[in-house]
Amino acid sequence: MITNESPGGKIKGLFSNRIVFVLAVILAFLAFLYFSRGISIILTILIQVTIFSIITMSLNLESGYAGIPQFGRVAAVIAGAFAVGAIPGRIMAAFMGLPAGAEYASDTVNFKLVPEINALLASSWLVSLGFLIMCLVLAALSGALIGWLISRPAIRLKEGYLGISMLAIGDFFMWVGHNWNIIVGGSTPVNVPDPFRVFGTDRFTVIVPVFFVIAILIFIYLNKLTQSPFGRNLRMLRDNDLSANAAGLNIVKVRTQALVIGAAIAAIGGGLYVIYTGSVAAIGLTRLTFTFWPWAYMMLGGIGSNIGVFLGVFLLTILRTMIIIFRSTWFGFLLQVGIDPLWLEYTLLGAVIIIVILFMPHGLVPEKIAPMLPSKRIKKVLADRQAVSK
Amino acid sequence: MLTVKNLNSGYGKLQVLYDLNIEVPEKGLTVVVGPNGAGKTTLLCSIMNIATVFSGEITFGGEPLTGVVTHKLAQKGISYVPQMGNVFAELTVLDNLHMAGYMLSKAEANDKAAQMTEIFPVLKKFIHRLAGTLSGGERRMLAIAMGLMKNPKLMLLDELSTDLAPIIAERVMVEVARMRDELGITILMVEQMARRALEIGDTAYLLVSGEVRYSGQADSLLHEPELCSMYLGIKQTAGKGGSAKLSVSDEGSENS
Amino acid sequence: MAPWMSSGLIYASGLAMTAGSITLLYIVTRTFNFAVASMATIGFIVVYTGVSLYGGLPYQYYPFVLIIGAITGVICYYGLNRPLLYRKAAETTLMMSTLGYDLILLSLIQMYSDYLTYTFKLFPRRVTMSVFDFELYGESAATFILPITAIACLTILHFFLTKTKFGIAMRATIENPTLAGASGINSDRVYLVSWIISGSMAALGGSFMAMAMTGTPVMGMVTIPLMFAGAILGGLGNIYGGILGGMVIGLTEYAGVYFLAKQFGPWILGYRMGIPLFIMAATLLVFPRGLSGIPLGKIIKNLFGQKRGASA
Ligand SMILES: Nc1ncnc2c1ncn2[C@@H]1O[C@H](COP(=O)(O)OP(=O)(O)OP(=O)(O)O)[C@@H](O)[C@H]1O
Ligand SMILES: [Mg+2]
Repeated sequence: MITNESPGGKIKGLFSNRIVFVLAVILAFLAFLYFSRGISIILTILIQVTIFSIITMSLNLESGYAGIPQFGRVAAVIAGAFAVGAIPGRIMAAFMGLPAGAEYASDTVNFKLVPEINALLASSWLVSLGFLIMCLVLAALSGALIGWLISRPAIRLKEGYLGISMLAIGDFFMWVGHNWNIIVGGSTPVNVPDPFRVFGTDRFTVIVPVFFVIAILIFIYLNKLTQSPFGRNLRMLRDNDLSANAAGLNIVKVRTQALVIGAAIAAIGGGLYVIYTGSVAAIGLTRLTFTFWPWAYMMLGGIGSNIGVFLGVFLLTILRTMIIIFRSTWFGFLLQVGIDPLWLEYTLLGAVIIIVILFMPHGLVPEKIAPMLPSKRIKKVLADRQAVSK
Repeated sequence: MLTVKNLNSGYGKLQVLYDLNIEVPEKGLTVVVGPNGAGKTTLLCSIMNIATVFSGEITFGGEPLTGVVTHKLAQKGISYVPQMGNVFAELTVLDNLHMAGYMLSKAEANDKAAQMTEIFPVLKKFIHRLAGTLSGGERRMLAIAMGLMKNPKLMLLDELSTDLAPIIAERVMVEVARMRDELGITILMVEQMARRALEIGDTAYLLVSGEVRYSGQADSLLHEPELCSMYLGIKQTAGKGGSAKLSVSDEGSENS
Repeated sequence: MAPWMSSGLIYASGLAMTAGSITLLYIVTRTFNFAVASMATIGFIVVYTGVSLYGGLPYQYYPFVLIIGAITGVICYYGLNRPLLYRKAAETTLMMSTLGYDLILLSLIQMYSDYLTYTFKLFPRRVTMSVFDFELYGESAATFILPITAIACLTILHFFLTKTKFGIAMRATIENPTLAGASGINSDRVYLVSWIISGSMAALGGSFMAMAMTGTPVMGMVTIPLMFAGAILGGLGNIYGGILGGMVIGLTEYAGVYFLAKQFGPWILGYRMGIPLFIMAATLLVFPRGLSGIPLGKIIKNLFGQKRGASA
């Protein structure tokens, strides 16, 4: 009677084979990079992978599971980056009796202030940890707030309109940050106090596991979330607005929740990003890096699959890095006519999007919709039913 | 002339028709009747390659039609008058006629359009009005005229009488019969006015839930009281003598 | 003429063309075309290459702009849009695919710009195109030529859509693709032509905009939200609405910035993008279907007391 099991098992095997294969490719690339360039490049890649995995997972929640065309991912990332750039430093400054008002972000003050805060942070890992947690909480809160604000007008719009509106909102945020000096210094980047200063030269080596833990926690949370009834509602929404409505689902409410949670997570990603780079330059928070690349990661990895997202981010980050570090050796022919091979990053991005859409619409790891109950329970229920019917 | 063999089709993944076999004889009027949602429109859409054909064979005069794109079918002399959206509401009546005769040369199209306005004088009056501003009945006229524009060999008509006042509906039926008799056009007609359609039709198919439930002579379907009352809402009154007298209780309702 | 008016008019004409291009493609193929961004930049690059390598006026290179714009459109249709349309892809997929195409075009534009710099010592990264213009009645000639060119293009487009058989077939396909197909109209041809028209419109629009703003390889990428805003403001229902929407967005941006900066100081310049977006949001609140949703016809008919036809 229970035939579900064997094909399910087969498909599972197929998936994990594909995952194993992609992982092997990734490891091969990493080994190659390690032996040709040393450990530092590996650390950089790993840090970027964690940050962008977080951002892309949030995108996956909104676009992959809920089917919202989130073309303004950068807005929430900006919210997190600005929050971390503007607030925790000021709080520390206020504690230490330093200027914490509008002048905190001015370029003549900021570059003297932040080293003082850093000195305090470097003195104790406990303070540093507290500072880090404060950053993350602030980022998540401001992200959630922005997500909620955006959801108000946007949620009732249709597919394309919604996507375009979000895109415009994201751009507008960037311009506000770029021009309004007192948030993050406008066109002169504001520095971010560094909670990893305690570790001195081991800074990157410590950042990797810490960020990884954060990413894993978010991964677990999202997995729980998408397998809960809420996740089922999201998918129902995505697959058919109409029937979801008929089933008595409050579409606006479910979508709003998805947007708020997604934005909070993306904002954490934005916060981590500026902690890692050590400064916030509004003009650098572009839709190209924080909306379009995450879309490509998600599409390559497989819409609706967080494992896929991770693989997609990993693979593409490595390719991007390789273009950057090998640009003069591999693309010398371009340099000879004065062309900067860095533009190939755009080509790669565009090509990935197109190839995935045309030839592998389900990505590396297609979405696998797990039953709501564990298979053992289902088996038991079925067996019980059979027993009753006999 | 048109043969449908073992047709399985539907929309996307949804299957609507199951193993359908239909034979439309040349210069005949074939009527398809059935309750709402039976798949009558889907049958016509499958022939026109608008719905998704999963398997089966459709041939027209011996030529296979499966997989031929819709606009090529029009060039082969098949014209289709859909149930809904059968005129271009934002174009004028004249432009509608010209679009319907898209493959004709300019002179031919003008001739033909003039001919149509003669057959349907209403259209002449409104020739420069937008089709969207026509009344329901006038629109049907236009739709039929559009179907005739390209000198079709085969016409697929989907529920022509819907929306029409009974008198006009009757006129349309007469018109359809004339198209067969005088112009020699092969017609496959889906109709909810089952009794009238079966009276003028030659062969008939009763479609229920995507399957053929009856096929044969059109008027003999009227002598199947069970099928008639169950699916077509035709009640048989105790007639005097041999020929059964019929009364229509409720056109096109899904009685069970 | 006030200083904002001249450049505002030029800019708005360009934005109108790009918004019209987006709208046309959307109503025919349901594709929100991101690639309009790079197509517009290509328009600028072509004119810039022309005037700086071969001299002359910007206007004489417009035919090339039209042709190259059309070619980029055709490539996108055959390479990308057509297979997806046959597959009945979702709106978001169609939109994403044009984004991929846009990024590839962008990278090519950037490489070409590098090449121009290296080989010909030209700097397409910060260009004031208006220096190539001549003066007419104390204004730059573009102030008159470009709006007139835009209107001429529109008139031609209008004529094409209402008077030619293929144009009418295009409108028929837009309204009812099924019936159009059953009538023997080849929708493939219709899609192709709409890509050609919309590609050339976008490129021409970009070359217009470059006469008012600083020409850069990312100018399309930066202004694409405004192009979309224009199209959305126009209601995405008909091309004329889109063109009107682009015009309104362009003019309000320039006028708004000018007057607000006079009122509150030059810091407002940094937020100029907010003005058109605000206009868009406000309009959509009042008329959810954009400018073309305003029942102008009805209003006029009511004004003149005509009796209405039996509308469907
Ligand atoms: N475009 C479509 N997509 C998905 N399902 C459809 C579509 N059109 C029709 N259906 C479904 O296919 C079934 C058959 O529909 P069809 O239109 O063929 O019925 P019909 O016999 O013409 O009915 P009616 O007498 O009401 O016109 C119905 O269940 C309908 O819901
Ligand atoms: Mg029907």
